[in-house]
Parts: sequence; C-alpha cells; structure tokens
Amino acid sequence: MDDAILTFLSEEGIDSQLIEGVKAFRKKHNADEELQTRIPSPELFYYGKDVWKKALAALLAGENLLLAGPKATGKNVLAENLCAVFARPLWNVSFHINADAAYLIGTDTFNGEKVVFRPGPVYLCAVNGGFGVLDEINMAKNEALAVLHSTLDFRHVIDVPGYDKIVVRPETRFIGTMNYGYAGTRELNEALTSRFAVLDMPLISDEDLTKLLKRRFPSMRDQICGQFVRLFYELANKAQNSEISDRALDLRGLLDAIGLIDKGLTSGDALDMCITNKTFDAYERSLIHDVISARVPDSLTKGDVFAQ
Amino acid sequence: MIKRHYSGAQRRALNIIWNAAGRYDFETPFMAFYPNGKPDFYFNMVIGLVDKWLDLPKISDFFYSYSRGSKTDEYDALLWLGLENCVYEKELPTRPILSQLRRRRAEDFFKVQQSLSRQQMMLQSMLVYNEQQARWALVTGRKMPLLSAREKKMEEALRFPGSLDTEQVIESMQAFLLEFFHFRTGEKETNVRQLRKGSLADKVLRKVLHHETRQLDVLLVRTGTGHGDREGSVRLLHNQRELHNSADAAEDLAYIRACFGPCIYNEADMRVLENDLCKEDDAYCRLWITKAGDMPSAASSGGAQQHRTLSQQARVNSSDNRSAKDVAKDIARQREKNIEYYRRNGMLIAGSVRRLSAQLDTIFASYAQPLPVKARAGRLNSEKAYRLAVMDDPYVFERPGDEVEHDLSVDILLDASASRLNSQEVIASQAYVIAKSLEKCHVPVQVSAFRSLRGYTVLQLLKQYKDVRCEGIFGYYAAGWNRDGLALKTAAAQMYQNSAVTSSGKKILLILTDASPNDSTRMPAKEGSFFEREYEGEEAVRNTAEAVKSMRSLGIRTAAIYLGPNTNLENLHLIYGKEYVRIQKIEQLANGVSELLQMILREIRN
Repeated sequence: MDDAILTFLSEEGIDSQLIEGVKAFRKKHNADEELQTRIPSPELFYYGKDVWKKALAALLAGENLLLAGPKATGKNVLAENLCAVFARPLWNVSFHINADAAYLIGTDTFNGEKVVFRPGPVYLCAVNGGFGVLDEINMAKNEALAVLHSTLDFRHVIDVPGYDKIVVRPETRFIGTMNYGYAGTRELNEALTSRFAVLDMPLISDEDLTKLLKRRFPSMRDQICGQFVRLFYELANKAQNSEISDRALDLRGLLDAIGLIDKGLTSGDALDMCITNKTFDAYERSLIHDVISARVPDSLTKGDVFAQ
Repeated sequence: MIKRHYSGAQRRALNIIWNAAGRYDFETPFMAFYPNGKPDFYFNMVIGLVDKWLDLPKISDFFYSYSRGSKTDEYDALLWLGLENCVYEKELPTRPILSQLRRRRAEDFFKVQQSLSRQQMMLQSMLVYNEQQARWALVTGRKMPLLSAREKKMEEALRFPGSLDTEQVIESMQAFLLEFFHFRTGEKETNVRQLRKGSLADKVLRKVLHHETRQLDVLLVRTGTGHGDREGSVRLLHNQRELHNSADAAEDLAYIRACFGPCIYNEADMRVLENDLCKEDDAYCRLWITKAGDMPSAASSGGAQQHRTLSQQARVNSSDNRSAKDVAKDIARQREKNIEYYRRNGMLIAGSVRRLSAQLDTIFASYAQPLPVKARAGRLNSEKAYRLAVMDDPYVFERPGDEVEHDLSVDILLDASASRLNSQEVIASQAYVIAKSLEKCHVPVQVSAFRSLRGYTVLQLLKQYKDVRCEGIFGYYAAGWNRDGLALKTAAAQMYQNSAVTSSGKKILLILTDASPNDSTRMPAKEGSFFEREYEGEEAVRNTAEAVKSMRSLGIRTAAIYLGPNTNLENLHLIYGKEYVRIQKIEQLANGVSELLQMILREIRN
C-alpha cells in the first residue's frame, strides 16, 4: 500500500530527492504497531505535481502545512495522501464553530474513582508523533486556536493546566485545511497563520482530472471521459460566477456518479443523485441540469460509458 | 441574492448562453424562447457558441445594422439558421451531445407547429417557416417539404460551413440578404411587406427568436425603470432652488401628511423629538415619522378640496414641486410595482431568502456565545463537584451547548431620495429578502426609508421590530433629497424608542447610501457669519460624519452599504471610516448586508 503511493509519486515525476527524503523520514520514524491502523490507505490520489513538490518539501523541512483553497480543490485528499506518503498515523479534527481548547487538547471526566484527563486528538497526535489534519480550521474561533500556538511553533509543547507539560514528538506535523468561501468562516489571525507554511490549492487541471478519472475508471471511454471533465469545469465556472452555489461543484460527487453508472444506473439518474440534487433550490437545480444537459446525454448506460 | 434584473426564464436562458460561451462577463444581445416563454435550450446554446467561436459584438453589430427595417424578425430568423449550422459544425467535434440536442430541437419544432392553430399558422412568415421546416426535416431525416427553386437555393445558402470565421460569416449574411432580398445592410429598405406590429405572427416570431435591444442609459425617470442605476445616472442638483419660506409651514405640513400619511407620534412628542434632534446644523428642519401601512391611498389622500389647494400651492423646489395627489398616486403605483416585481420574481426571492438566512444563521452562530450545558466530561464545575461524591452524579462538568442567545437587533436605513428612482422595485425586494432572512434567524429587524422634502426629513418605518410580516417594505418609494445626518439621528432615536433588545444588547444600524448628503433646506449661519450654508458638499459630509460619530458613541454600530459613483468614495471614508462595503449593483444589497454583519460581529467579538 505504502509503496503504491511512492510509485505514484515517481510516476507523477516528483523529484527523486524528495522521494528519498520521504523514505529516510519513514525509516527514521517508524509508527508503533498499535497505531498502524491509523495510517490511511487512500483510494484517491491527489494529482498536481507542483502542489506535491511544495507539500513534501514543507513537511520534510518540519513545517506545518495550511492548505487553503475553494471547494473541490482536493485539500482533504492531499492531506490524507501526505499521511500515507510519510506513513504516519492520522488524527482528523473537524473544526466547527463551537470547537474550543478542551475539544482539541482534552477534557476532564470522571473514571469512577477520580476526575481524570481525557486526551483530545491534538494531544494524542502530539504524543504519538502523528499527522493531525485540522479540517476547516477557520471555522473555529481564534481564541480556541490560541492553545495550538505553543504546539505549532518552535516550542513544540502542550501545557495542560493542572496536568503535565508534554513535549510534541519531532515527527508530528499538523496540516490545516481552510476554505475562505464558506459562510461562517473567518480569517485566521496572524499569530496562527505564521505557524504554517501556506499552500494555495488550485483547481485540478484538465490533464490531471482526466488522469484521475482514468485511474479510477480505467475502462472509461476517452470521449465520454473528456465530456465529464468539461462538465466539471463548466460547473466550476458557473459557481465561480455565483450563478449557482458551489454545492454542485463536487469532484467526489462526479466520481460517485460515474461509479453509479458503472453499477447500472443511467447517466441522468446518477448525475441527479450525485450532483444536481445536492442543491435544494429548484431554480438552481434547473441551472445545473442545463449545464449537464449540454454535455452528457441523460440516457447513457454502462455500455456507453465503459468499454467492455 | 437576486443577481440580475432578469426574470427567472431570462436568467436561465442567459445561463445557458454563458455556459456555452464559457464566460460570464458579457451581456448577450439575443436570447431565444419558445412561444410559451420557456428558454429555447438549443438556440440559446447556439447564441453562446457564436460568442465562443465568432466575434459576437461584430455579429450583433451586423444584426443591429438592419434592426429598424420592417423585415427584421424575418431576417433574424433566417440568418440565425445560417449561424446555427456554422457553430454546430465548429462545436460538434468537442461536444458530441450537440447532434442529439439539435435533433431534439428539430423534433420540438414539429411538435410546436402541430400545436399551432390555423390562424397562427397563417400569420407566420411562410418563408421562414419553410426554411426552418427544411432545416429541421434534414436534421430529423423527415421528408423534405416542397420548396420553390428560390427557397431551395436559400436553404443551401443558409448552410454556413463551420470553416468560416467572423468576417466570412458576416460576408455570407450580407450576400444572403443581397441575393434573396436585394437588401444591402445600411441602406433603407425598399421592399416593404409590412408585418403588422403586435400581430400574432409578430409576437410569435419575437418569442421564438427574441431580439433584445441594447439598453440605453437611463436618466432621471419619474416612475422608475426598475433597471437599476448606472454610475452617476441620477444626480440631484441645486439648480433653480427656491428658498424655503416659513410662511408656508402649514401648507408644508399638510403636504407631507397628504403624501406620506399621519405621523405616528402626537404633536407634543414630536416637539420633544424635534427639540432634541433638530438643532445646530439641522435647526431649520422638521421631522415626520410615519408607518408604511398608514400611507394614504391615491383616492383618499386628504380630500379633493385639500388636493386642489395643495396642487396649486405646492411649489418649493425642483424635486418636490408635484401635487400631493400626484405623489400619493405615485406612491400607490410604486407599491403595486414593487409587489408585482416581487410576484414576478417570487421563486428567485424565496431562494434568496433561503440562502441568505442560512448564511446569516451560520454567521450569528459563529459569533454567538453558546450557553453551557451539564455533561459527563468537559470543564469541571467546581461548585457542583461535591455531587460526584455525595450523590454519585457524574454530570458535574460543563460543555458548550447548542442554545445561543442573540442579544442583537439590526436596523436597515434605506436612502429613499430621488437618486434611487431607477431601482425602487429592486431595493424593495432586496430589503424584503434581508428582513425576511433576519426574521428567520430570530434577529429583530427594523427597516426604514428616509428622504427630505419641503424641509421635513421623513422617516418611513417600513417594518418595525414587532412586525412579523415584512410586506410593509413594498411601500418603499423614492422622492426628494437626503439629509443623511438628521435621518441617522432620527433612526437612532427610533432604535431606542422601539428597542427590541436588552440595554446591553448590540444594536447595529446599516445604511444604504450614496455618500452624497444633499438637501434643499439650508443650515444656519455659523457664528460670526451672516450667510446660511447649503446642505451639500463638504458641509453636509461633515454634518453626517458627526451624526455617525455620535451614534457610535451611543453604542450603535453604524456601517454603510455604499452604492454610488467613485467620486463620492472620499466622502464615504470621511463619514463611515472603515465600516462600509461597496456594492456595484443594487442586486448585491443582501450580499452587502451579510458581509457587513460579519465584519461588525467579528469586531464585536475581538
């Protein structure tokens, strides 16, 4: 599994120096046996040579990484892929508006005899030398994130009031993801941003999206594949121009739709379920439907989409 | 948000065009509709593809060159058949579905024809009908209709090949018109076989291939076009101003009452309020506070006798010299227009409310402090720790709960001066969207409009905090001047009067403004000077800035949504500092409110 992703990186043309660096990192920091199940084995690979190069270099240099970009740019796929590349256990922390210090570091609880500390995901990630994915980091309030400052900067410590001060293991990395388009998100303050190397995530390129579809569905016909790729960009264009919300701009949804066609649904039904119906506004649905109708016939069957 | 001033069907047609063109930054001169008003999917795609493959402005210039002739629709319909073939051939290799869409459009043509009555058929241009029938029969593989030799030649000529570029397409179109109609573009048409304007055939053709004429700049239009402002399209000038004479005070009062309905306060209360607010620079001003529901109807605005007297005497300045009867009629008419606009765009508005309320809900939730709830884990509540040992109660911890409390009220103050004449319907529906969305989030909201007329600054309460329904907002009506400073102070007084939050609660006032305060009532002379000052320019800006400052010192967060020309940006900075958002079109008002609220709440929390 691990080698598959390294092979993928080589195929993508990532510098051998970086790949050697990753291998050396893996050799030096071997994950404990009981944490092996936390090392992800991704189904999807992130496509984008430049982004890979930057991300690998930053993590090898000991930086924490902030992946910033709009929807459907593959932030979470890349974060998971990076954990797999470095073969580190993953702790995923989904941020929300009520996330506070206790949610990240840990809370008090009663174990039947006494009040004890129940560690949170950031704490566990730090003591086990894992990769912490801080998903939608800008959904949380800045004061909740202040507890991460000493964890993320040169001090590498977590000081829990009333308990011990723990030292973050050197192989620990934190990867934040943020989307600056969502309602309710806020700007990260300077103190926190300065503790990350920020990677601006671009929309997947035409060529890479074709590769992604062909890798996931190797028997897909080239012409149809091209039409699905164009469909994705046309939806992206419409969302960027605010004619529709970005609910329908869903790469995972597109992949799922093709998966459903593979299972026997017609293209119309599959695209409705995985793309059109994700928006609940009837008018917006009609606009999305128009985009789809201009690219993909709604009666395509498995035989039309996939070569036998 | 309502993005543009198009109806639902038009916007859908535009989206199809933009999608096919691959860009969204142009206004199309053409849109295609079926006779039932539904967008013609295939032909709209063709229009978009013309933009993609050819130079659309040049093509539309060509169409425009003969647009005044009597056969415009006929030429349009025929030439678009030519263009259709051209872009179809160009696009097909990269969009295989196009052949299927074309066939479906062809089948639709025959279906529509079957549903037309004999009279409708007779009113059609037979030439266009035959050419279309030939084209679509070819596409569907049906038997070709019987065509004359000339029609056959036309049919062949209209198969513009996909290899042509813009210039060649235009040459082909010119050659086509010359050969078959002896018509040279740019020349006056001689062969006149008039198609009756407004006839059924005329209407059907217009619908089938709807030709949108270019928009001209709209200048001050009394009834409003509902099409929005262009930068600087409406300006209020102080030309030919007549001085406001205090001897006319009683008439003015009657006029204001007849136009805007009774004041919600009695005379004594108003005197107190005026003593409080109408001082210093606003010493010559009066106030009138009215509710939207109390607006006089056109038929009952004070009695005929009173109207006659008022119409004879109502001459004060260039912007408010119309009779009360006319104004009341206009107000009633505008209300109907606002409601009509709302009905026509009901689906879009409902969608906008849904989106904005979801957006605001997230924003409020982000900034509201959740109330703590008891839990088995979380922050230990030391006061209750004894319960662990004594009562075996593990719920001695606290975690953030789901309940939040909005101790917050929002006031929207809309500039209803004549500079908003062109956008009244859109402003009313945007304000409705905002108020409805805030109501849905359980945030008390009050919407008022202000304008100044005959020395009175009239604050019209379109929706009060206590009103559950927001329909009063459709009483929005633009007229007169805008004395922003006094309007802001009056709105602040109203916020405290009808306070919907606790005294420690946050009060937010958002004003839609063009940052150009301007009134016909002068300011008193400064100490040591004999000259009264105009309420305009620097003086008016300073007066408004002071009003904003005093409101902020009262704890009212005051921020502006700016819609106006670049020339007033300096004023905007001077009056509101950093607390403003700029919108380019009135359709973005609801977006602006959401952005501004987020900005303010972030600052409150930090």
